[in-house]
Amino acid sequence: MQRTYSHWSAAVSTLALALPLMAATRPHYGGTLRVQVRESVETADPPQSGRGMADLGDAFTISRWEAGRIAVYSANEAAAGGRPYLDSIEVQMGRSLREQSIDFELGKADVVEAGPNDSRRAANGRKIWSSAPVRLIALVVGPRVADERVREALALAVDRSAIHAVLLQRQGEITGALLPQWISGYAFLFPSAPDLSRARSLVSAAGPAARTLSLGYEDPALRPIAERIALNARDAGLAMTATASGSPDVMLVDRRIEFEEPPRALAAVAAALGLPEPARAETAEGLLAAERGLLAGFRVIPLFHLPDVYAAGARVKGGPGITPLGAWRFGGLWLEGNRP
Amino acid sequence: MTLRTRLLLMFAVVVAATVASVEVLVARTTRNAFERLENQRVEALVAQFRQEFARRGGAIARSVNSIAASDAATNIALAPDPAANYGQAAALASAQGMDLLELVAGDGTIISSAEWPARFGYKEDWLAGTTGWKSRGAFLRREELPDGVVLALAAVGETRAGDRSLYVAGGQRLDSAFLASLVLPAGMRVLLYRNLEPRVSAGGLIGAQGAVPDASDFLPLIEAVRANPRETTATIGSGTAAEVFHAIPLSGSADNVLGILLVGSSRRELVELEAFLRYMSVVLAGGGILLGIVLAWWATARVTRPVQALAVSAGKVAAGNWDTTVEVASKDEIGQLAAAFNRMTRELAAQRERLVQAERVAAWRELARRLAHELKNPLFPLQITVENMQRAREQYPQQFDEVFREGTATLIAELGNLKQIIARFSDFAKMPAPEMQPVDLNQLVDETVKLFEPQFAQAGINGRTDLDPALPRVSADPEQMARVLRNLVLNAIDAMPGGGQLTIRTRAEDGRVRLEVSDTGQGLTTEECERLFTPYYTTKTHGSGLGLAIVQSVISDHRGRISVESQPGKGATFRIELAGEVSR
Repeated sequence: MQRTYSHWSAAVSTLALALPLMAATRPHYGGTLRVQVRESVETADPPQSGRGMADLGDAFTISRWEAGRIAVYSANEAAAGGRPYLDSIEVQMGRSLREQSIDFELGKADVVEAGPNDSRRAANGRKIWSSAPVRLIALVVGPRVADERVREALALAVDRSAIHAVLLQRQGEITGALLPQWISGYAFLFPSAPDLSRARSLVSAAGPAARTLSLGYEDPALRPIAERIALNARDAGLAMTATASGSPDVMLVDRRIEFEEPPRALAAVAAALGLPEPARAETAEGLLAAERGLLAGFRVIPLFHLPDVYAAGARVKGGPGITPLGAWRFGGLWLEGNRP
Repeated sequence: MTLRTRLLLMFAVVVAATVASVEVLVARTTRNAFERLENQRVEALVAQFRQEFARRGGAIARSVNSIAASDAATNIALAPDPAANYGQAAALASAQGMDLLELVAGDGTIISSAEWPARFGYKEDWLAGTTGWKSRGAFLRREELPDGVVLALAAVGETRAGDRSLYVAGGQRLDSAFLASLVLPAGMRVLLYRNLEPRVSAGGLIGAQGAVPDASDFLPLIEAVRANPRETTATIGSGTAAEVFHAIPLSGSADNVLGILLVGSSRRELVELEAFLRYMSVVLAGGGILLGIVLAWWATARVTRPVQALAVSAGKVAAGNWDTTVEVASKDEIGQLAAAFNRMTRELAAQRERLVQAERVAAWRELARRLAHELKNPLFPLQITVENMQRAREQYPQQFDEVFREGTATLIAELGNLKQIIARFSDFAKMPAPEMQPVDLNQLVDETVKLFEPQFAQAGINGRTDLDPALPRVSADPEQMARVLRNLVLNAIDAMPGGGQLTIRTRAEDGRVRLEVSDTGQGLTTEECERLFTPYYTTKTHGSGLGLAIVQSVISDHRGRISVESQPGKGATFRIELAGEVSR
């Protein structure tokens, strides 16, 4: 519970950092907030659920929708909490982190998703909005890897600390559990430290054919992590290669935790990872046992819990624009000055 | 084989051997010149490679040292959190145009790696542990990358900031692009074997175009250089595809062989030149042989024509034409030989003339003797009868009529004998020309034997025939041949007064027909054999001595030959050979 407290305190302190900036300007109406995201929604209609654009539904109404490209939301004059300050929000979809970063630096975007290295951008009035760790980065081992020793060896080979320190720039938290510490309170009970010698002994006991694995990743942003995991796996004696194509043996995935209530969150995560539905539990102990049951076969190897991180430009005022769970709350934002 | 043929062959062999010797000499000279040229080209290429190697090594060392001396490197060395510089190596490598760059902390921990970003935090013990690289500038290094092991030309620089240090290890891959950058003369190529695996593998060999299709052909050479790291030469391929490869081992910082440079020079031009020379030599040899044959024909004709004329003349002499002479066309050895030949034939002709004269005299003497002998026998009774008639006329006139009657009868009888003797001599002198027709000698033999059977029985002779059923017919006068047979049979009967065996044998041999009449009589001496066919010669107490002479005359008229084989006490065999002109 110590860790949970520390993360809550970090979130609170992040919000507190933004307060002086909020106080430095007066709210006013007008302007279009330019937002860029990696997600590319290809449906015919705008999303009505989930995080992101679906969160704009109360204060804004969709006025333009080009699937996968752009969505424009206009201020809802009859919003329950009153008309938002912004006239509209323009969301560009399918923008890579690199493109978002460049557009942000050039002033072509007001709010972008921030990668691990973007935390240093909180300068010159720019802001970083960070949620609580609401995304699970995990390895999902496919059915072709039938030998449990190989799966366990892979779990023991991954040096999460190095990845967390370098590739994630210490964002989020290392984990061996499905639910983050701030939700479950027992995540620290799941081991996450590497044990290379045991991993090697498990691999040596497995057959040579089982030692060759391919590792895929859903998002190109996950590629450095995948390559590092492949390198760790090699140290354990597994011939693992990271690949962006084909149908790999192991997949590095990024899943969002949609609920704060632990049982509901666990069930949703398990469903998102293709795990069986966990046993219903009324107590923390029961939930812990259910989660242990889900992870027992090493079909899913949790690695990190990461927050949603956004960078907001200097002219964006009234933030933070996201909730601790990462939901967009752009109704209270306004834009300062003219566009650069 | 004639002298001319032998001379021709000798000429041809000499010409062919000369052309072949010249061809071998030219080919060897050409090959040596080619190999000298090729060695020069290879040496130039190797020098170029070493120069390029040194140039690139210098460029890499300068780039690495430039990074190590930069503010960026100092900042990375001083940074409290190395994780913040995770992506620096890629940016610096890109700026310096290097394939490989690693930023390594003083303790050997990788801070940032351009070639393998995921290796941050791993150790590069060779940097912190040894300092041999410092004195070497650029050197070959085995680099492990995510997609395999590569051979690299690397250099290391060091940044010192207070008590902290940072190693900058950068380099470039030695790959197909590097080989493609080498400027090669036509007909040459450079391959590089990256000796990075424990065992030799074809995949380690690359050329300017990437993988080498015929890499397995090079493995023995590579294996040899690996086992004994020194420059080695070998020929790869055959025919126009053959190439001579010089393998040069490339050592790393630990003096281990990390690469083998294979400089190849195509032998296509040499092989094609050799083939052209071979073709030309065959053409020249053929032309030379033909020319040699013509010249030899002309030259040998000059030499052998007199010899050939001598041979023809000698043949004529052997055939009995002893008047033959040859033209003496020169005064050299051949001319002297011709003159000697002419002298020899003149001597032979003179000797023959003298021999003929002597034989003629001897024949006349024999004839006179025989005539005297033959005529003496009837003349003596004539003389006695006439003398009796004269005595009876003078002393016994009363008995004269009776004596006259008896005497005239005797005279008539003896005169008849004289006429008969004269008729026989006349017959011999007037032997008619044979009337040729196909004659079956076997049938003639059977008829003759049947004719003489009573006489055989009376004389106690066993008459036997041994006839060849495949005997062809001969062209002969049947009457004269029957007479020949009868004479020989009679001769044999006379030779066996006490009985014996008479055998008549026929055989076909080499297109000729042989007829033999053998007896088991008392036989003949060598002298008798020699004179047996002389007219009026006889070994018997009776007979004219013309029988065998007539036989020889008939056989001669049939263009045949008769001979006798005999030894005293062992009988005699008369052998007649005739041309078998008519098939059976």
